[in-house]
Amino acid sequence: MSIHPARRARLTRLVAGSAVVALTLAACSTGSDDGTADGGTPDEPVELTFQSWVPNIDQAVDAFNDSHDHIQVTLETITAGPDGGYATMLSAVQAGNPADVVQLGYDAIPDFLVSDALEDITDHVADAEATFVPWQWQTGVFGDRVYAVPQASGPLGQFYREDIFDSLGIDYPETWEEYYEAAQVIRDSDPDRYITAFAFNQAPWLIGLAQQGGAGWFTAEDDAWTVSIDGEETISVAEFWQRLIDEDLVKVEADFSNEWNADLQNGNIVTWISGSWADAILRGTAPETAGQWAVGPVPQWSAGENVSATWAGGSASAVLKGSEHPAAAAEFALWLNSDPQSVDILTNVGAGWPAVADTSQVASLQDDPEVFDFYGGQDIWEVFAESDAAVDTSWEWPPLSSTLFASLTDNVKEAVDTGTPLVDAYRQTQTDMVAALEGRGISVN
Amino acid sequence: MTTILPVRRRTRRRPALWALLLPFVVMFLLFFVAPIVYAIVQSTLATRSSGLGFGPPETTFVLLDNYVRALTDPAFVASLGRLLAFSGILVPLMVVTALGLALLLDTGRARAPRFFRVLAFAPYGVPGVIATLLWGFLYIPATSPVLQVLSAVGIDVVPLASGTVLFAIANIALWGFAGYNMVILLAALDAIPGELREAARMDGASMWSITWHIKLPLVRPSVILVTVFTIIGTLQLFVEPLVLQPLTTAISSTYTPNLAAYNQAFSQGNPNLAAAMAVIVAVLGFAFSFGFLRLVNRKGNRAW
Repeated sequence: MSIHPARRARLTRLVAGSAVVALTLAACSTGSDDGTADGGTPDEPVELTFQSWVPNIDQAVDAFNDSHDHIQVTLETITAGPDGGYATMLSAVQAGNPADVVQLGYDAIPDFLVSDALEDITDHVADAEATFVPWQWQTGVFGDRVYAVPQASGPLGQFYREDIFDSLGIDYPETWEEYYEAAQVIRDSDPDRYITAFAFNQAPWLIGLAQQGGAGWFTAEDDAWTVSIDGEETISVAEFWQRLIDEDLVKVEADFSNEWNADLQNGNIVTWISGSWADAILRGTAPETAGQWAVGPVPQWSAGENVSATWAGGSASAVLKGSEHPAAAAEFALWLNSDPQSVDILTNVGAGWPAVADTSQVASLQDDPEVFDFYGGQDIWEVFAESDAAVDTSWEWPPLSSTLFASLTDNVKEAVDTGTPLVDAYRQTQTDMVAALEGRGISVN
Repeated sequence: MTTILPVRRRTRRRPALWALLLPFVVMFLLFFVAPIVYAIVQSTLATRSSGLGFGPPETTFVLLDNYVRALTDPAFVASLGRLLAFSGILVPLMVVTALGLALLLDTGRARAPRFFRVLAFAPYGVPGVIATLLWGFLYIPATSPVLQVLSAVGIDVVPLASGTVLFAIANIALWGFAGYNMVILLAALDAIPGELREAARMDGASMWSITWHIKLPLVRPSVILVTVFTIIGTLQLFVEPLVLQPLTTAISSTYTPNLAAYNQAFSQGNPNLAAAMAVIVAVLGFAFSFGFLRLVNRKGNRAW
């Protein structure tokens, strides 16, 4: 049909611009087209918009603009995806004026594919596969086509108050059984003290624990989804936490709440299983406890194993369908997440654990006294590097993951609120999720 | 002769009439009728995928499917029930409180009535989100001085438990809007002619009988207005549960119909189902408001 107004304006400008260039450089045949994406030139750079909610990511965008004169990127800071950012992006795709590159959680990529909102960028980025950690790269690949470039994730580790563990004579719990025993000792030591908070509100945390227990909730088989939220592995994880709740060994409390912040500060909660980015949150929330924390691997279900998981995956950069410059957009997405300078900036501003395989090139993941001092001098990045490598690559995100998150937290909330079994919450989530998928015409085995 | 004049005047007025009406009609159609029509149209559509869901989805016409889905969803039906319970708590409480405050200030014996009028009205100036955040702090034992004092003397109150949270929310709404409604009722009381009160006093009517037989019947239309406003307001319950949600296990993402619609639209990517939920809430709002108006009008002036 007719040309979109914005595109028409840009076309006019481009035509006018190239006319000027043609006139002034008529005698000179060098030209400035060096074969870059979408034909941007230093005089007439391709203009992209990038939507993200990562604080201070503008530093990386500035670095890109400084080092690229044929593409210029404008950052639009938006609400975090699950809180409305995704809705903004999807509406823009529908309206035909999307941003070129957007921040997307790994869990949201299938959601966007279901809405047909992502550009296939295989031709532009496929060569970079080896640059990234395999499981993170795979989150953007569907049926051999690449739709997103991974940025960062949150491999899980256990933050714990080493001083309190030491004073109570607790050895670091390597297995969940030892964790249970540690929970009893900690609970007995102080009427207000718990080993951790059971964060009923935090779907990514609940999912991470299930994943670490060996659960795979969604598998694509024969053009249909197999859903097993109530599988054996998940049920035994749920039963373990049920025991801790029933025996009052964990505090049922929302994380990131005022109460929870206070509990971290005054030592009423002494551990937190969380993503690598949580270090900055701990340092910000409980600065008085500096030097008293340490980080260890997530306890194992079988002694001697090394199974890890993530805080609901991580986040990627994707090109929205309808972008006028998909090639340039893909170039930016790739640079943002793989260029050593950019990865360093992203890691510094707290985007998460980088998706690039070779973290030895990331300056901010080397010796970092400011961070390490808070953890008694421990090199906490070693723990997360090992955790990242141990993440099970087979976990798949389904479409409608937002429904999964909402349903899981609603059901777990209800279980802890009414005292019904936690396993029922997972069974109900299974029912909800199957109904939601089928309601959208998606096949379920 | 006399019959011709109005006709001529009417024909002369017609272009002017339309010119004057046009801005309203355009705005009304554009910003009131069109969104409603759009919502209704959206509520009859659904996007369907196939297989694993990764192909382009199709939008199909499903007529009432979304309504059936909403009304057979136990969580949504529960949210409607919760809303009725909330209305049942808040509407009488609101009307009685606002009326009580207005009558007290209107007795003529109140000291510093202007000061207290402003004081009661002030919470209305606090945005709903801020008000809920403030009350949220007061409702959590870790941050609430009130609960801490109560706990120290052996009374443990948990305002955000599942049995009490509806009252906790009603309290916030009452705090925010009672003063506003009071001002409406005060204006109605002010409009009562002084002669009426004076005549009643001369006839030896007590303060009580003046209130009962003069004031209340005369402010009846305003009381009805306040009631209808409150009914509509309670049906739109949204901000308070949204803000309190992270603080308690008792508020789910489908706690009220509006919250459920919001979540479908903005977090679960199903604007069609959200539109159906929104239409259901709107129909309920109409039904209750007009139902209430019919009820009070049928009983005539003897409603109380």
